[in-house]
This record gives sequence, structure tokens and C-alpha cells, in this order.
Amino acid sequence: MNTKSEETFNNISTIVPGSTAGSTDVPGTTTIGSTSIPRSRTMAVAGFHEVAISRLVLAISMVAGTLLRLYQINAMGFNTDEAVYAGQAAAIAGVPGLKDIFPIFRAHPLLIQSLLALIYKIQFSDIAGRLLAVVIGLGTIYLTYLTGKMLYGRLPGAVAAFFLALMPYHVTVSRQFLLDGPMVFFATLTLYLLARFGKTQRAEWFYAAAAALGLTFLAKETGIILVAAVFVFLALSPEVRVRFRDLIVAFVLLVLVIAPMPVTLLLAGRGSTGNNYLSYQLFRRPNHPALFYLQTVPPALGIMLIVVAALGIVFLWRERSWRETLLLAWIFVTIIFFQIWPVKGFQYLLPIAPAVAILAGRLLGRLLERNQDGQSQKSPLNYLAIPPLLSWAVVGVLGFSLGFASWQRIQPETSSLFLAGTGGIPGGREAGIWISQNVPLNSKFMAIGPSMANIIEFYGERIAYGLSVNPNPLHRNPAYDPILNPDLQLRNSDMQYIVWDSFSASRSPFFADKLVAYIKKYNGRVVHTEYIPVKDNKGNLVNQPVIIIYEVHP
Amino acid sequence: MIRRKFFALILTILLAASQFNLAKASPAQAVSQTNTPIKHLVVLMQENHTFDNYFGTYPGADGLPSGTKMPVNPANPAAGYIIPWHIGTTTITDISHNSATYLQQFDNGKWDGFVSALNLHNQDGKIAMGYYDSQDIPFYWNLAGNYVLFDHFFSSAKDGSFANHMYWVAATNPQVPKGQQLSTLLTDVPTIFDRLQAAGVSWKFYVENYNPRITYRNPSTQSNRESQVVWVPLLNFDRFIDDPNLSSHIVDLSQYYVDLQNGTLPAVAYIVPSGASEHPPESPSAGERAVKSLLQELMRSSAWNSSAFMLLYDDWGGWYDHVVPPQVDQVGYGPRVPGILVSPYAKKGYIDSTQLDFTSVLKFIETNWNVASLETRDASANNFLSAFDFKQAPRQAGFLSMSYGVTAVPSKAPAIVIFTTYGLALLLFILAVGFAAIRLRRSQVSVKE
Repeated sequence: MNTKSEETFNNISTIVPGSTAGSTDVPGTTTIGSTSIPRSRTMAVAGFHEVAISRLVLAISMVAGTLLRLYQINAMGFNTDEAVYAGQAAAIAGVPGLKDIFPIFRAHPLLIQSLLALIYKIQFSDIAGRLLAVVIGLGTIYLTYLTGKMLYGRLPGAVAAFFLALMPYHVTVSRQFLLDGPMVFFATLTLYLLARFGKTQRAEWFYAAAAALGLTFLAKETGIILVAAVFVFLALSPEVRVRFRDLIVAFVLLVLVIAPMPVTLLLAGRGSTGNNYLSYQLFRRPNHPALFYLQTVPPALGIMLIVVAALGIVFLWRERSWRETLLLAWIFVTIIFFQIWPVKGFQYLLPIAPAVAILAGRLLGRLLERNQDGQSQKSPLNYLAIPPLLSWAVVGVLGFSLGFASWQRIQPETSSLFLAGTGGIPGGREAGIWISQNVPLNSKFMAIGPSMANIIEFYGERIAYGLSVNPNPLHRNPAYDPILNPDLQLRNSDMQYIVWDSFSASRSPFFADKLVAYIKKYNGRVVHTEYIPVKDNKGNLVNQPVIIIYEVHP
Repeated sequence: MIRRKFFALILTILLAASQFNLAKASPAQAVSQTNTPIKHLVVLMQENHTFDNYFGTYPGADGLPSGTKMPVNPANPAAGYIIPWHIGTTTITDISHNSATYLQQFDNGKWDGFVSALNLHNQDGKIAMGYYDSQDIPFYWNLAGNYVLFDHFFSSAKDGSFANHMYWVAATNPQVPKGQQLSTLLTDVPTIFDRLQAAGVSWKFYVENYNPRITYRNPSTQSNRESQVVWVPLLNFDRFIDDPNLSSHIVDLSQYYVDLQNGTLPAVAYIVPSGASEHPPESPSAGERAVKSLLQELMRSSAWNSSAFMLLYDDWGGWYDHVVPPQVDQVGYGPRVPGILVSPYAKKGYIDSTQLDFTSVLKFIETNWNVASLETRDASANNFLSAFDFKQAPRQAGFLSMSYGVTAVPSKAPAIVIFTTYGLALLLFILAVGFAAIRLRRSQVSVKE
């Protein structure tokens, strides 16, 4: 069994049930499972196999993760959020045709948009944003491995990376140019550095974690809620001690790292932008029902994976330590915050994905380590009398179920309905490109809502407005401009085109009807239609119009 | 031998087929055969403004010279002067603009009677010196900035609407001797539309709110819209009233939009307004909206890539213009009027100072569609081909704003600031990690020691 003395480093005690194999915690020893074993023995019996198998699992994870993230990645164009972020990047890079349409400063910080802008300086293409997202997503997989390895050992880390690589939630989001994927990358980096801090008790790693948390904020401002997760972790982990002075230093570092957002906003004279957006988000009506996350996120994470992670907590309860506190604080603070926060989005809970994968990897990794080692010492896991092959089979089945679910999610859309954050909008890019090639410059478009308007602006390079944007500034996203008098705009030919789309129409039937009324009133003439093949009642594929562009003639 | 016969047969069939195609295609080709890429000319004739009145302060154009002032009474300088003033939202009235007024303003070549002439007509002479600027007619200024502005386009006659409209269609305005009727004189006056009709070139005369019952025969009995007879000079020609082959070409303006949508815009299209003519006291902005609508429809039609749209004003309307018009004959020229050319082949933001008048439009038609000139005036008129650049690919259509000079406010935080600040944040993180790693390494070394 581990003892406090074995885990002492620099005279600071921590309880480490199953610390990293080959770690430097205790010179001359290493730990497998919950047992500290002389290094010579472990190297001989299990060390070589563990390293080789872990590397193999990690390599499979990276390859499978890459394939799942790249498969038909550009089959569909951007969805609305991708269009906005890529549009901001284009504005920063000064891409002609877009720099005057997309304001640089909207609601979010600009770290990721700036990275894409650097690429846009060389080559402008929508796939560049998606490829950047994939690279960052693969980085998150590797960071999950490092974090799992830091907390529980090489094999649990590799298994955790395997699960994340195949997880539908992470696969879906990291195929899109959203801010959530990069935010999760930096959040996982923070998690890793906190794990290093917890393990070594060296304040420098806590400072580094604070800086990483700052980058998490700069990727997406909602990352700031993880500050609460850190405090919960520290409050519930008395064995991890932080001096007040270290907290101050970390806080200063955090503030310095997040400073670019307010500084650039102030320099741009857009200081009110952030405040307006915060006010709007705090007081807006919920956009999804209370059970939204419960309905959408567990299947995306993998229900079996969640069960395995929970079983790990139960079966390894006696080995509980600051490690699980850290991971559970990471998970529950995120869930509680976004459950309370009025705005709900499919991808918002993604920061919990690596933590859930690590908890699941912890249990299965431990089982695999036991099996390799062949030892049968006292362990809570002895209650689970699983033969070695079966342990691998569980990992395989779980991985297959996750991978299969991911595979299904990345297939081309065959529905005229759409959940924001789950992928591209069918026909959106094609409609936009048609607009850019066939519609006079400076034409103005009316769409049902801002979602389609953003896509038209990015691909069509024309200004578009959402009819559903509330003219009351208290009840609209400050990033969007309302159409104050749509009838007058159409009558005066200040707005010359109307775009109907099935995705917005299904979400906003009232404004869809209003839009159709304008089409009729102002002699709308169809000039372009985008179709997608969808299944009818009999299961046959039929072409259904999803985007229709009308020319209006007052 | 058999092979040779086979090839001969094939050749014969191909030749026959090509002959058939040629025969079928020839009428259409005759219509569309032009000497420039312009297949559609649209000319809109608005009302009553001078160049200085609309573009006197336009940058780079031959506008109002500094120090311009107009005596209130040319015979008595002590009565003071009126300097050009910005009309803005000031309400104005229709000011006198007949040939008598012109002569008083001309003042035997001294060009100093613009204020006094109106005063003599019991009108506020100050109005003549008013001008509009970019804030009043932003759309027109935007057109000028993106296409071609003519700053030496003269009205053809030093007279009012009818004379100038006549020059626009016939390059002449016959003087009617006492006891004779104009329609009788016009029987022998050819118009550009006679030429086009004979040549098989499609044409239409679009009239806003067109009422076919209003002609010279009953100009005001049906309504108070006698201006239709003035602005559509063809309604003074018996043949254009009575011959269905000709009268059917005079149609309501709504047909313009139908023709654009159906792809049947004729080769030559003349347009006259009704309510949005900009004739004082009407608001220029109403005219701008009408012109915007006409142009937007043209721009999103299939005709755009081979079109040219000209915006002209029929006479000076009594307003001041600082350029004394050259005298080409007893009738003209009259004062300068605004002229704008919009075309995918138009030079961008170009100010064309070629001396032109309404017969230059006829000159272009005659040149482009190979039809004979009508009179000495159009035969000797300058063309406006210098406004085009036919070497350039047709410019993509672009709608213009109704606001002038409103461009995206450049960000006060340029890209370099964003890259620098966010880059510093990344650097700070790297330094923090590097610091932790170095400290760890040192402590490990000290533990080993």
C-alpha cells in the first residue's frame, strides 16, 4: 500500500492511490495500481508491456481520432457559429469581401480567431478553420492522455485518450470551427497542470495552471467558470495546500493573461460590447428546456462510458483522493453552471468530456494493469473478477460503441431539421456561393433568423439580417442588428432578397410565416433553391428544398 | 469512292444544317449586332437641374469656382450679390425656365442674370444660386463615384422641356410657323425610333403612369397630366399615335420591370418619369429612389452585362451653372445638365469632360446599331465612347448606398494590436510553464545531490 512517506515530495504529504508508473514521486520506486513496487520488479514484469501497450493504445486513439475528425470534414459548409468566428478571423486578416461585413469585436475573445487569421493571411478557405479545430481536438486527446497518466498511470491515461478520441461529443464538436473545442483544449491543459501541481505540490505548476486558465478564457469566455472548479477542488482537498501568496500570484497571472480581451475592446472603443452581451445573456429567456442537457449530452458522451466512470468512483471509493475531487469538481461545477445559465448549447458541457473519459479510463486502466501484473493483492477491484481478456473486451466494446455513434453522427445530414452545434448546415455554403456569384454586390438579404443570415454573410459576402432579431435592445443579442421596419426596407428596395430555410422555419414558425407574407406581398420570385435528399415516410430518399432564395419586386 | 461519297453526303448535310441555323438566327442577330459590347441602352430623362446645381461641389469635377457670386441687379452692382448656397432641406419652388428667362439670364453673353431674371418674374432670385451636395443626393454622388460623371453635358436647346426632349429623339425641334400645326411639320421629321424600327432593332419608350389617351390631340382633357405630351415627344407625331406597329412600343414603365425579368429588354429603351421627375418643387430624393429602383432591376437582370444606363436632365430649370454653353447653332447649346453613365463597361469613378448634348445619345445609338444620322446636330455631335473601357471584363453589378461617404469605421484596434496582445498572453503562459519546468529540474538535481 502507498504510504504518506512514499508520496512525500519536498516534505509535502499527499495521498496518491495509484500514481503514475515511472513517476518521479519516490525515487527508486514506482506504483502500479495501489501498490508501490520496487522499480526493478515492475520494469521486469509489467513496465515494458505497459509502456508498449499504452503507446499502442495511444497511437490507435490518435489515428482513429484523426480519421473520425477528418472524414468528410468539408462535406457541408459552416453552421452559423462557425461562420461568425471564421468571419471575425477574416475581418482580422483583412480578407476582401468579408472585412467590411463582419465586425471584429462581438461577444467572445479573439484568441482562436486570431490563430485562424494568421492562416487566412496565407490562404483563405473555410476548411482551414475546420482543420485548425481538428488539430486542436487531437491536441486535447493527447492532453487527456497526459492528464490521465499524471493522475492514474500510463495505461489509464491511454484508455482515457482512446475514449475521448472516439467519443461522439468530442468528435462532433472538434470537427467544427467553434470556440468550444479550443476552450476544452486549454481547459484540459489547465487540468493537466493542476494535476502536476497536486502531485508535486510545487506552486510554479499552480501558476502555470492559472495562466492556462487564462488562455481557456481567451478561447471562450465561459471557460472562466473553471475558476470556480479550481476553488471547489482546493476547498475539498485539504491535502493539496496553497499558500495565500500563491493564490495572489496565480490571480495576477490569470488577470494578465486574460487582459488582451478588455484591452483590445477598450482600444477599439467597444468597451460596452462585453457588458451588453453579459447583460443580455444574464436576462434572456432560456433557449432550450431545462432537461436539454440531460437529453442531449449523455448520449453524446456515451452512456456506457458514464456508467463505467461512475463505477470507478464506487469501486475505487477507498482509494479516493484529491484526484477524483479535481475531476468531479471539473465536471459538476461545469454542469451546475450551465444548467442554471439561461442559454443552453449542445457543446457547452464539452469541458467535462476529458474528465469523464479519465474517470472511465481510471477504472478500466486499473483492471488492465492488474491483469498484466498478475498480482492478486488486496484491492477493491478484486470484487470485479474480470479475466484479462474480458477487460480488454470491455475497453473494445466501449470504444466500438463510441466510435459507431460518432460514425453515425458524422454522416451527411438527411434531415431538414438541425440542432445548433452538431454540424454544418446542409446547403448553406452552396446557397452562399450562389449568392456571391450571381447577386449584385451590396445586396441586402432578409432571413428568418440570424443563423442563416450569418451563413449568407460568410459565403455570400452580402449583408443579411434576421427578421426574428428583436428590435428591443433589452431582448436581443447585441451582436445582431434588427430590421427596424422590414416592410419599409422591402418597399424602398433597401432590402432586395429574402431567404427562407427549413432549419430556421422549424425553430421560428412565427417569423417564417411573416417572411412568407413579405415574399407574397412584394412579388417574391424564386431565383435559387437548395435541396437535400431526405427520407420520406416510406424511407425513400427524396429531394426536399431546405433553402429558397427570393428576389423581391416592390 | 464510296467513302468519298459518304463524306460528301455528310458535308452536304452539315452545310444544309448550318444554312438552316443561319437562316433561323439571322433576324435575332441583326437585332443584336452592335459595334460595341453594349446590347442594351437605357436612357432616363429627368427634369430641370444644372450640373452645378447637383454636382457643383463634387470633387474633381468642373464645379462651382471659388468666388462665384451673382449680382442681384447686373445694372446696379451696389444691390449686392448672391453667392452659391446649400439648399439642404430648404423648400424651393419651381423657377422660371423658358427661353425668355434664358435670354435674361444669358444677358447678352455676360451670364450674370440668373438672380435678376427670376426677380423679374416675381420669384426669389436667390433660389437660382442654390445647390445640392452629397448629403442631399447621396445616391447620385455614389453613382458618380462608381461609374462615369459627365461634367460637360449640355442641354441641346436653350429652352424648356419640349425642345430638349425633341432633340433627344429627333435631333431637331422644328419651329412652327403661324397657322401651322406641329404634327403636320413632324410628319417629315424622322426620329431615332424610325431608324431603329426600319433596321429591325428593338426599342421601347417607357412612360411612368402612361395614359395612351393623352396625346397632343387631347393633352389635358383627360387629366391634368399634359406633361406626358411634353416628355414623350412621340405623342406629338401622328404616326406614333395611330400606327400600332409604332404606338405599341410606347408602354407603361411597369413593362420595364417585366421585360427585365423576362429577358426581353429592348436594345434601346427611353424612360420618362411622372411623379419622381425631380422637377422642382419635387424632392430630388424621390427621383433618387426611382432611379435606384430602375438600376437595381437592371443590375440583377440578364441584360446587365451588356447594358448602359444613362441618367440625364432635360434642361437647366432656371438654376445657375457657371459654364457658358457653347453656341453650336441658333438653338443651342443650353446650360450644362447632370449626366451619369452606369454600365459594366463604364470606367470607375471617371469624370468625362467630353462636350456632349442629348444628340450624343443619338450619336451613340447610330454608331452602335449602324443606323443613319437624323440631322446635322447628331451627325456632328460627340460620342461618349470615351466613358467606356471595353477592354475590361464586365464589372459585377453592385447596389449603391443611399448614404454618401458612410464607410465602415476602421477599427481603432487594428490586427497588429490583436495579434500582439493575444500573442503576449500565449508568451506569458509559455514563460510560466518554462519557469515551473526549470524550477522542477533544479530541485530534482538538488535532490539527487
